[in-house]
Amino acid sequence: MRQTLTLSLALSLSALSAAQAQGPIKIGAITSITGRFAEFGKMQLAGFKVGLDEVNRRGGVLGRRVELVIEDNASDVNKGLAAAERLVNAGVPLVLNEYSSSLVKAQAQYLARQKVPALVFSSSGDDITKPGSDYIFRLNQPATEYARAILNIFRDHKFKTMAIIAGTGAFEKSVADAAQDIAKEYGITVVEDQRYDKGLTDFRPVLNRIKAKNPDGILMVSYAEDSVTLMRQAREVGVKPRLFAGGAAGFALPEFVKDAGSAAENVVTATAWIPQLRYPGTQKLNVELKKALGGQDPSYHAAQAYAAVLVAAEAIRRAGSTDREKVKAALNTLNMQTAFGPIQFKDFNGFRNQNPLTMIAQQVQNGAFVPVYPKSVVPRPIKFER
Amino acid sequence: MDQVALTALLQTLAQGLLTGGLYALIGTGLSLIFGVMQVINFAHGDFLAIGMFITLALFRTFHLDPYFSLLVAAPFGFALGFVIQRLVLARLGDRLREGSMLATLGLGLIISNTLLLTFGAQPQSINVPYATSTFQLGGVQISIPLLIAGLGTAVAIGGLNLLLYRTELGRAIRATAQNPLGAELQGVKTGSIQAIVFGLGVAFAAIAGVLLMPLLYAFPTVGENYTTKAFIVTVLGGLGNLPGAIVGGLVLGMIESLGAFYISNNYRDAYGLIAFLLVLLLRPEGLFGRTVKRV
Repeated sequence: MRQTLTLSLALSLSALSAAQAQGPIKIGAITSITGRFAEFGKMQLAGFKVGLDEVNRRGGVLGRRVELVIEDNASDVNKGLAAAERLVNAGVPLVLNEYSSSLVKAQAQYLARQKVPALVFSSSGDDITKPGSDYIFRLNQPATEYARAILNIFRDHKFKTMAIIAGTGAFEKSVADAAQDIAKEYGITVVEDQRYDKGLTDFRPVLNRIKAKNPDGILMVSYAEDSVTLMRQAREVGVKPRLFAGGAAGFALPEFVKDAGSAAENVVTATAWIPQLRYPGTQKLNVELKKALGGQDPSYHAAQAYAAVLVAAEAIRRAGSTDREKVKAALNTLNMQTAFGPIQFKDFNGFRNQNPLTMIAQQVQNGAFVPVYPKSVVPRPIKFER
Repeated sequence: MDQVALTALLQTLAQGLLTGGLYALIGTGLSLIFGVMQVINFAHGDFLAIGMFITLALFRTFHLDPYFSLLVAAPFGFALGFVIQRLVLARLGDRLREGSMLATLGLGLIISNTLLLTFGAQPQSINVPYATSTFQLGGVQISIPLLIAGLGTAVAIGGLNLLLYRTELGRAIRATAQNPLGAELQGVKTGSIQAIVFGLGVAFAAIAGVLLMPLLYAFPTVGENYTTKAFIVTVLGGLGNLPGAIVGGLVLGMIESLGAFYISNNYRDAYGLIAFLLVLLLRPEGLFGRTVKRV
């Protein structure tokens, strides 16, 4: 017993010293640690940690430990570009690039110009990978898919009319524009499409307007703070569609249910990942993310960040080096299963290096998210407002 | 006009009026300070943010109902304003009028960055059970917290009026506003009066912050938006004109709501600014200001 213990200790020590011989592999990562996207940043940091732990538990990559050099973009475009520049100069093989489409698009384009592979894992504005670049890869679903998940539900339940309320940021605009197109395709009339600038706090007039038109569905696309305000004011104004739907982001955060309270009940939201998915390791990932978040339920952002670390490690392993060009080539041929979902970068429908994945929809029922779409998640029946 | 459209219009009007009430409360503080001290307070919105964060902190630590925070935020606001006048504005002496702009702008930056360091930049809100409760009035739904905010505004402004027109202190404040030198010669301690007035103005902003908290979310730079609104309100009503500020607030609330309802929400802030520009161009003394003849 003691001998085996000593032996395994010696083995792990020698593995450790071999791993340390060349020093760790440092992968760049940008996220929003401070600022208005900090809630999402918190989720992503937890995902990074769980992903890194898993990679290093398996002995790292190329016999070396893997570390992340994490830079804060402070939820600001210019600070995001400065963060990307620091990582380029630090010589990292690739950059995990987040959060919020408005920031990520600028960061990704800068990284592509510097010929540094940018791995986008959470931001969904279509134009990040459409037309995209040889150096920009995205493992999560683009905005079109967010809109499609919700519009599929509307179509399946014979909705005739819908209204859209969306912010003017890159992500919100992308989802709302996609919803317009898909509605046309499905024969759903968009009776109202209202966009608002960041900082608006009084949605009542818009909601009154929508109330007067009485649509079957309302699609709202916004970040954390507005999702709560929107639902509170929607209840207050008394607008009653058959279904309120959110385009992920703010609506998919556990905080949304907590802060909006009863106003969140029956709200359906698109989401990129839920623990009920049946990919290998999904349950285990949920447990580990929850632990990393100090007991809080993870949102899809955390699972995406986890997957990004695994993809980056796998790309470097396949490349056999930390050379940026070789890593880029490895990303192109990569095909792997993760607890977030299958990952393969493809060119389709004008997208480049985009992982084709479908979105999921969940609904707040009795103060908790339950899956309602698609069939593969064993959905619960949707509860309608009327 | 059919029933649905009429109800929607009435609801928009009611909500615009109540939102406007809050603008009035914010504008009154700004107007009072300008009327008595000739100080343009660029930190006004930041004092409102202080009110919001006091409410947030008390709710988070003691689960204190937001409306009870008024008992803390209003006196704190008054004390803060009093001290700032004494330590900063009173020292500007003859350069008060111009110097106060820079001084209050600087104070605003100090306040918003202190809030940033203490609470972080992410938007934070509190969830009270009555956040979405409403009452019906002939098909028109009115939010209870918004109504409380409207009533709070009425009480605060009514109280200010009593103070100004029914008390000795109020008489001294009005005297200082009309003619500081004359008031000083009559034995009014204009220094103390100015400190009290600045305290009152800040307290009003803090009260508005508390009343907003059950409805909205707080973040350190939330004040910027409200400083702009306060300026529009006071210019609409005439700088230093208190009844004007009240009407200006109500008008701004209605313009924004009706514009967003009938035209488009996309240009919401533009409606108020257009009204602001029109008033500056056509009636620079404000909608209700007395025309000042320059010699």
